Amino acid sequence: MSDRKITINYNDRIVRQFMLATVLWGVVGMLVGVLVASQLNFWRLNFDLPWLTFGRLRPLHTNAVIFAFVGNMMFAGVYYSTQRLLKARLASDFLSSLHFWGWQAIIVCAAITLPLGFTRGKEYAELIWPINIAVALIWVVFAVNFFWTLAKRNEPSLYVAIWFYIATIITVAMLYIVNHISIPTSLLHSYPVFGGVQDALVQWWYGHNAVAFFLTTPILGIMYYFLPKAAERPVYSYRLSVIHFWSLVFVYIWAGPHHLLNTALPNWLQALGMTFSLMLWAPSWGGMLNGLLTLRGAWHKLRTDPVLKFYAAAVTFYGMATFEGPLLSIKSVNALAHYSDWIIGHVHAGALGWNGFMAAGMIYWLLPKLWNKPLYSTALANLHFWLGTVGILLYVAAMWTSGITQGLMLNATTEGGTVLAYPNFLDTLNTIRPMMLMRVIGGGLYLVGFLLLAYNVIRTISGAQVVDGRVEVYVEELKSSERPLGAFGTFLNPPVVFSALGTVLACVWMFGGPVLQIVGLFGTALCAILAVAHFATRGTRWAGWYERLLVSAAPFTVLTFVAVAAGGLIQIVPTVVVNKAQNMEERIAKPYTPLELAGRDIYIREGCYNCHSQMIRTMVPDVLRYGDYSRLGESLFDHPYQWGSRRTGPDLARVGGKYNAAWHFVHMADPRNTSPGSNMPNYPWLFTKQTDVASLYGKINVMRTLGVPYPPLSAALIAEEVETQAKMLVEELKASQQLTSGDREIVALIAYLQRLGKFEKVVRTTAHAAP
Amino acid sequence: MTPPDSAHKPTAPGEDPLRPHAYDGIQEYDKRLPNWWLLTFYATIVFWIGYWLYMQQTGLAVGDGKLIDEHMARVEAVKLAANAALDDATLWKMSRNPVFTEAGKATFNTICASCHHVALTGGIGANLVDATWIHGSQPANLMKVVNEGVLAKGMPAWGPVLGTKKVSEAVAYVLSYHTPPAELGLAPK
Repeated sequence: MSDRKITINYNDRIVRQFMLATVLWGVVGMLVGVLVASQLNFWRLNFDLPWLTFGRLRPLHTNAVIFAFVGNMMFAGVYYSTQRLLKARLASDFLSSLHFWGWQAIIVCAAITLPLGFTRGKEYAELIWPINIAVALIWVVFAVNFFWTLAKRNEPSLYVAIWFYIATIITVAMLYIVNHISIPTSLLHSYPVFGGVQDALVQWWYGHNAVAFFLTTPILGIMYYFLPKAAERPVYSYRLSVIHFWSLVFVYIWAGPHHLLNTALPNWLQALGMTFSLMLWAPSWGGMLNGLLTLRGAWHKLRTDPVLKFYAAAVTFYGMATFEGPLLSIKSVNALAHYSDWIIGHVHAGALGWNGFMAAGMIYWLLPKLWNKPLYSTALANLHFWLGTVGILLYVAAMWTSGITQGLMLNATTEGGTVLAYPNFLDTLNTIRPMMLMRVIGGGLYLVGFLLLAYNVIRTISGAQVVDGRVEVYVEELKSSERPLGAFGTFLNPPVVFSALGTVLACVWMFGGPVLQIVGLFGTALCAILAVAHFATRGTRWAGWYERLLVSAAPFTVLTFVAVAAGGLIQIVPTVVVNKAQNMEERIAKPYTPLELAGRDIYIREGCYNCHSQMIRTMVPDVLRYGDYSRLGESLFDHPYQWGSRRTGPDLARVGGKYNAAWHFVHMADPRNTSPGSNMPNYPWLFTKQTDVASLYGKINVMRTLGVPYPPLSAALIAEEVETQAKMLVEELKASQQLTSGDREIVALIAYLQRLGKFEKVVRTTAHAAP
Repeated sequence: MTPPDSAHKPTAPGEDPLRPHAYDGIQEYDKRLPNWWLLTFYATIVFWIGYWLYMQQTGLAVGDGKLIDEHMARVEAVKLAANAALDDATLWKMSRNPVFTEAGKATFNTICASCHHVALTGGIGANLVDATWIHGSQPANLMKVVNEGVLAKGMPAWGPVLGTKKVSEAVAYVLSYHTPPAELGLAPK
């Protein structure tokens, strides 16, 4: 053996920076969370100020906790563990610093632009296009830094944590870029290239997998490093790691459509979303099992060690949330739970329980190591744990109760199922108010716990000496059995061939014609049987190949990418190709008039989609309450789509013409004028601000580029059309004693609202059925 | 300092074997996958196959659009049958019966009052107690307006939301402010 001994100085400065940023943004994000939760109960907390209204602050909350809090936590954990698992210092100090400061600059930009109303109008993808580009660039910096370190590693074999990091980096890049493709209309505004159902599908492919690959896989990687370290126990099962990693990354991607069940989304996509969500249950629990069972033999340490308490609870909450997810994806359960607080409770079981507690455990464990000083107070950390746990339980229980109660009330019918039992939406809202208050209390407790962490961090590091990790390692020569795989060995081996063949045959079964279906089904079954037989007789070859894959970073990355790309391609490509205007049946949207388009951009700016859906589901109670169910064609030209995900207020898909203009006028000034008991904010600024007509020319040009059938319109013609339509509305308002001038934003907004639900019947000259 | 892998503490007797390689001191068992876990996984895969076959390929499942259309047709039929019994004389009689008018008042005050005012004197919507009927003065005319709305003027169609019972009660409540035709022999307000 010709081992040589080398000394490695880890870059722990970057870990400390990301960790402190985690604490800072965690406080900010959670504080905004408690504020927006309170606003739902006490509408006066919107203060009649545009930048403090719920519709603008809710995106700030979600973006802050996902990308700022969990993002920084992830980078700290990834950088700390990767260096040690690869026995290498991070490749570039410059890239590390660029990554850190770039990410913080992005967060600051987001914190400024979102309250100002600059948004793309898509959940968790609200940031405007210049910031999107910055995010993509900084993510590439992260990727280069990571893979470069991987290339320079002194540990040939990749530990399971690294697998999860690789999956995270490539998948988030793919999701983020595709869901953010937009055409700018100005420096601060753009329209996404996808519209209507395409945008909905891409959005939830992204949104669901942002949860998967931003909030789950990196944290699983962090769990695989920090949990056995803190417990000082071996990981429970290597083969479970292998199976649950590959099944998780492959299956997760397909499950996005479960956010669109019972909507106008084509049935085959809904069926994929539901069944793959159910198949995701076991892979997710594989991670939970490996976490919890690693604690076997260390349970007694939970009594004294807050770090392990946090990890054990975090993994338990992960298990709870990943059981609840498949449950909520069952179409009939979803009919009750969708658009309700149950979903909010589900997300927070994951965000507060899994992400927040993993972060806390990691921070408490790292603090003494990075600052070379014992934790200031273990008692405070324990108090944090109990406050946090009680807070989560209150929060989640409140949201379950709230969601199920409101869901049951909204769906309840009487008189033989012909009439709504609670026709007034506000009755259902005011029933759940006590639960909404309990949520504020639960969230508040959790925030107090996190503030204790912040205090503990400050007291621990003040006056402490920073210390960077430093190890001496023996670098071994590679054995011939450990040479990295080449292209041939990467793809032509039993596990990959059987998996790929099985997937292709399963797709032939699912999507083929009558004959191909049968071929595909039997082919898939045969493939599975052969794979099992092969594994039973030549299992060592499978295991041996995987050992070699573990020393082959590039092939591992390529195979991971293939696994995560498959589901998205199969769902998105047909949807984009097929759902064109000429294929729409029954109904098709008309392009918005210039004034309506201006109103729509105001609707998006104010974040109305955070509380109002525009999608009437194929359910009797939805149709009774809101009108005929929504068809695909009706939102085809909506860039971005506005189907929504939560009904704090009623659906608006067919609100156009339901009330008169004066009703909307009075309602927007103070919703309680027309709807006593409403929790919607007032929008006084819409009555004074002037509609931005100048930008419409550029916006309509972009819309035309995106395929919306606008006739050629000059800027002058647009201004003229705006004026004519505004004048008519002003006259109509005047007839009801409501006075305003046509250049005000409220007029544009009412024009848009009154237009919702209007469509054209499709008349076909030639028979032309959609495939 | 990281010791070479071989220097790790050996597996205690009776413990499960560990994988030979350790990563930064982290070791791994290689335990069998729990049977219940595997069964869960297989069961969900079987469900996927069965569900897909049934929903997408056997032709037995009815599509969401067709299903809801059938449901709504049934609802419509029930409502039409109920409406047919509500002729003008019946509605006038209901308007003198507090069982109906009190229920109608409750509906009116939560739903209608935001535009027509609790005193029925109008606001965003029309005045319902003056002598002018814009869309006809007969009870059946009122039923029609409330059921189907006057979309051009911003009166929503309440029939689908409230149902025949609540609509007829609300109409009876409005009628209670008006004088019935003499031939019915009902008491004036």
